[in-house]
Amino acid sequence: MRSIMRYIRKEEWSPYAAGTLLGIVGVLAVWLSNSLLGASGAFENLAGIAGRAIAPNLFDNIYFNFIMPPEITWSVVLLVGIFFGGMLGAATSGTLKWGKKDAANSDAQWKSIFGPQTWKRWLIAFVGAIVLEFAAGMAGGCTSGLAISGGMLLAPSAFLFIAGMFASGILTAMLIYRGRY
Amino acid sequence: MSTYVIALVLGIVFGFALNKAGLTKYHKIANVFRLTDMAVLKFMLTSLAVSMTGLYLLRGLGLVTFPSVPATYVVGNVVGGLIFGVGMALTGFCPGTCAAGSGEGKLDYLIPGLLGFFVGAAIYGLAYPAIFPTISAMANVGNIVIPDVWNLSPFLTVVFFALLALFLFYLIDRAGLQRRKRG
Repeated sequence: MRSIMRYIRKEEWSPYAAGTLLGIVGVLAVWLSNSLLGASGAFENLAGIAGRAIAPNLFDNIYFNFIMPPEITWSVVLLVGIFFGGMLGAATSGTLKWGKKDAANSDAQWKSIFGPQTWKRWLIAFVGAIVLEFAAGMAGGCTSGLAISGGMLLAPSAFLFIAGMFASGILTAMLIYRGRY
Repeated sequence: MSTYVIALVLGIVFGFALNKAGLTKYHKIANVFRLTDMAVLKFMLTSLAVSMTGLYLLRGLGLVTFPSVPATYVVGNVVGGLIFGVGMALTGFCPGTCAAGSGEGKLDYLIPGLLGFFVGAAIYGLAYPAIFPTISAMANVGNIVIPDVWNLSPFLTVVFFALLALFLFYLIDRAGLQRRKRG
């Protein structure tokens, strides 16, 4: 029992153990809720809610009316859960960043490549997130909604997406890291 | 109501698993693309092997029906994946891991990260009528799954995938791709 508690408190688990846990979550989502895990779709629902409040006419299109309705969907609740799950995980290992001095830009490897400036990290995070969300929309889902959820159903789309993602990810990392690749 | 409780609980375990796998760290994601730390790939393939085994078993027993399968429209899936990979290698996160990292208190995930996803979602939603019908019409084969298309036994397909994953884990460790982070 104590060794189990000690393992739970570890900052980093074996990827096989953590992956098994996620696999079980994926099965339960289908079994209990007939739903698929996902994250990018929830941002679409939430963006629709915000957009409707700010510019109702602009966001009155086919996408926000029928494809991704501006509502608190199952995925939105799941996304809230993911937020608190990350918090719980970090809390068990004592690695929460709330209120810490380096909370704004904490990765040592990032700093050694891009420099210590917080604005640079934030700019790339912001632009990168826009790119990620747009790409997920185009592909039909993100790493969780398409790669994991589609993959576990054995949908070809998931494996096409994973192949594309690794091909360009490797190329991008080569360009960023050059000699240190 | 109860379905929202399920979503919340599953989300918490999901975020917990992402944190424990180390996916809420920039270097973990960047290094899988540098081929110096393959934990992300091991995590993904393990979760796929476990969940597909569970799901096809439950379907075989008649206990579940699959929800709507993510559609295969080759050009969109691949091009979307290609753009996605650039964003992921740059930022070191994806929509799910950014949400989990935000919960940990990482402000670069919480503020520019989440804000970027909302802006990207709004842009995509507004651009949808102009781009999606065209993209999704290219090489669209619908909501298919591999065993149905190629008329394979679902059981054998899952076993094949699991063996393939194990073989890949073996190759990764043998090739010594698990080099410790070089800083």
